Amino acid sequence: MTVTPEQARKLAFSATNITKRYGGTLALDHIRLDAEAGMIHALVGENGAGKSTFLGVLAGRVVPTEGEIEIFSKPHVFGSPREAHRLGIGAIYQELTIVPRLNAVANVFLGQPHAKRGLLSEKRMRAEFREVCARFGVDIAPDAVAGTLSTADQQMLEIMRGARSGAELLLFDEPTTSLAPPEREGLFQVMNQLRDQGTTMVFVSHNLEEVLDIADTITVFRDGQLAATGPRADWTKASIVRAMVGQDIVEYRRVERAKAAPGSPPLIVARGVTLPGACEDVSFELKAGEILGIGGLVGSGRSSLLRSLAGVESMSHGELIVDGRGVEWPTRPRHAMRHGIAFVPEDRKHQGLVLGMRAMDNIVMSNIGEVSRYGVISERKIVEKSTSIAREFGFSADRIGTMVRHLSGGNQQKVLLGKARFCAPRVLLVDEPTRGIDIGAKDEIMSTLRSLADAGMGIIVVSSDLEEVIQISDRILVMAHGRVVDELDQSGGPVQVTDILNSAFGVERHAS
Amino acid sequence: MQANPTQTESGGGFRRYFNRDAIMQYGVVWAFCVLILLGAIAYPGLFALRNIQNILSQSAPLGIVAVAMTFVLISRGFDLSVASVFALGAVIFANRADPFGLWGAALTVLAVTFVCGVINGLIITKLDVNPFVATLGTGSVFGGGAFLYSRSAPQVPDNFDFTILGTGRWLGWPISIWIMVAIFLVGGFVLSRTVYGRSLFSLGGNEEAARLSGIPVDLIRGSTYVLTGVCAGIGGMILASRLGVGQADMGGSLALDAIAVVVIGGTSLLGGEGAIWRTAIGLLIIATLTNVFDSLAINTNVQQVVKGIIVIAAVALDIYARRVRK
Repeated sequence: MTVTPEQARKLAFSATNITKRYGGTLALDHIRLDAEAGMIHALVGENGAGKSTFLGVLAGRVVPTEGEIEIFSKPHVFGSPREAHRLGIGAIYQELTIVPRLNAVANVFLGQPHAKRGLLSEKRMRAEFREVCARFGVDIAPDAVAGTLSTADQQMLEIMRGARSGAELLLFDEPTTSLAPPEREGLFQVMNQLRDQGTTMVFVSHNLEEVLDIADTITVFRDGQLAATGPRADWTKASIVRAMVGQDIVEYRRVERAKAAPGSPPLIVARGVTLPGACEDVSFELKAGEILGIGGLVGSGRSSLLRSLAGVESMSHGELIVDGRGVEWPTRPRHAMRHGIAFVPEDRKHQGLVLGMRAMDNIVMSNIGEVSRYGVISERKIVEKSTSIAREFGFSADRIGTMVRHLSGGNQQKVLLGKARFCAPRVLLVDEPTRGIDIGAKDEIMSTLRSLADAGMGIIVVSSDLEEVIQISDRILVMAHGRVVDELDQSGGPVQVTDILNSAFGVERHAS
Repeated sequence: MQANPTQTESGGGFRRYFNRDAIMQYGVVWAFCVLILLGAIAYPGLFALRNIQNILSQSAPLGIVAVAMTFVLISRGFDLSVASVFALGAVIFANRADPFGLWGAALTVLAVTFVCGVINGLIITKLDVNPFVATLGTGSVFGGGAFLYSRSAPQVPDNFDFTILGTGRWLGWPISIWIMVAIFLVGGFVLSRTVYGRSLFSLGGNEEAARLSGIPVDLIRGSTYVLTGVCAGIGGMILASRLGVGQADMGGSLALDAIAVVVIGGTSLLGGEGAIWRTAIGLLIIATLTNVFDSLAINTNVQQVVKGIIVIAAVALDIYARRVRK
């Protein structure tokens, strides 16, 4: 070839020696990375590997300690999202930045409305909104109040905001964590379209399948360093994982155990569980030592079912039998806990943990009577008892006194599980046990759940990662439209993801 | 002597108390030390026993309310009605001292202010009204009630013992100081060492997490308003007793003063963080400042300005410290 690669390709960004230090820790260590324009670039790595920090540097949100970045051959001004915007950078964060009370149009034009002499040109914005919707093949009502839209639609509004404001480099931080499979597909279509229109995209993800599906280049971070980078064709799932952890990880294997005797009575029986608008007449049983997985899409009612059983949804009703005795349906978390049911909510930062407290304080929170006498707390007991629980989940005892805010996502999740475990439940309800955490922590959490079940606990797991559901469950209930549509037993061999999806979608076809 | 290697590694005593985190955390203590040093230079009589007793007994009503306000702020609440409840306590105590006797009057006040707190708590937890608005409203109601009850007239009891609470002494120290110290000690213990205190921090730090952990959040949140109500009642009684009269306009700017004391000490308005010792320091700073200014005959308007600046500086420092920690 006569054309040198440097001439042929236009660079979206070119980073040299980007280093970021937080106190004593090196979050990014002399990162050197070029990204070709008009492509989708994926950044992967374990938590704390530096990928999100790097994305933050690109977005102009994080100021690097050293190093430079050129964006479309212009020097990047760090620390100013506004300047970054002027350079053509649009960022879509994991935590959505929509304004829930405003309507869809207002959210898309947030910060840059069409206006004439200070008066909003509502008509022009609407017209453009429709146009952008059509371009992306999405259908969102312009007047819909953003807070009432699904997460996927809210995210779409953000993407529309980024794309319409003329961003040539779009940054996505874990865009698919809260999306159901069909919604992911929709997002990928939009990303592909944007790429065809010449937009460059960089995205951070924990989901290797989707990275392999959509990315043109894949860059792996490890311990703040760039471990490897290359075009999609050079990578396989195994090679990415190897680059991420620096070694081959042992695939988690299902442990075959002696099943509970067929005649043994179930630990709990729930009948006719109903939460208006979310969950309709669901019945199931759970035996001691069993892990029951609930599969289904986002909005299928799987989380609502779990929350109802945990007493979080006060409008729910149903029939609950614990150890063969009918008890009152729990409408408060405290009531559920009294029946021996503990709940691990999906959103650890907002629903699960008190970030300003130490790990040990969070763990003992679920049963503080255990570390107190006549209402007076014993610090010694807190340390003692929380440490032994934390160890079960592979949480280092050295960090037991660390404020939760300063822990990594994986460690926070371990604290959250430890907290539920601390009230010595007989039934553990876990919503999204491993969302957004690295592979090592995920492995530890999965095997701890398994050993808790082996010790006689009944566990129900809901996860949008269907592979994870298959990996850990003995039995899987598939939900769609608030009802149980299928029950898959894994005793005869593992179920496939497609089996779950077929069941879930099968009903959707009938219903529509 | 052999050097202790572990101590060198952990930075030793000096480093531990003088690194940036420690200065941030205990900054308010240093500020107080500097203040009393400067104060002693400007006003040599500052450390006289009589003056110290004077400072403390004067600030007892405010201090007692501030202890309860600390509980409210940690739970991420707000109580603007304390000034009115305080005045209500003062007029009822003075008005009932003759017919009911001192103990009877005091119990009446405690019961009434308890009910005021329960009303606040119910409006905030059951009707889900924002605490700021709820207590603004009930403050107006209770304040109006105090005026109606007293027919806007000063209540002067004939009972000779009426002034014991405010001016009497026990073991050589004013009774009001004993009461305040007792409330500070009990408050500090409850907040830092009991299940109730811990639940309060959890609730203020993350209400949803607390609820899902089985903590009775409504009960605990509501109870903090009962604390402010009762403490305001006690404060009102002490002031009425000291002045020998109960008046419906006695509350003044008490609510904001109490919040200022708590915030100057370093308890966050954002909930989930704080301590009673901080409130004690905050109270001492304000009380010492007032004492020194008064002794130097500085205009009260100037004092207002200076105190306002201190409140803002304290909150700004708190916000800054949070940002640094992140």
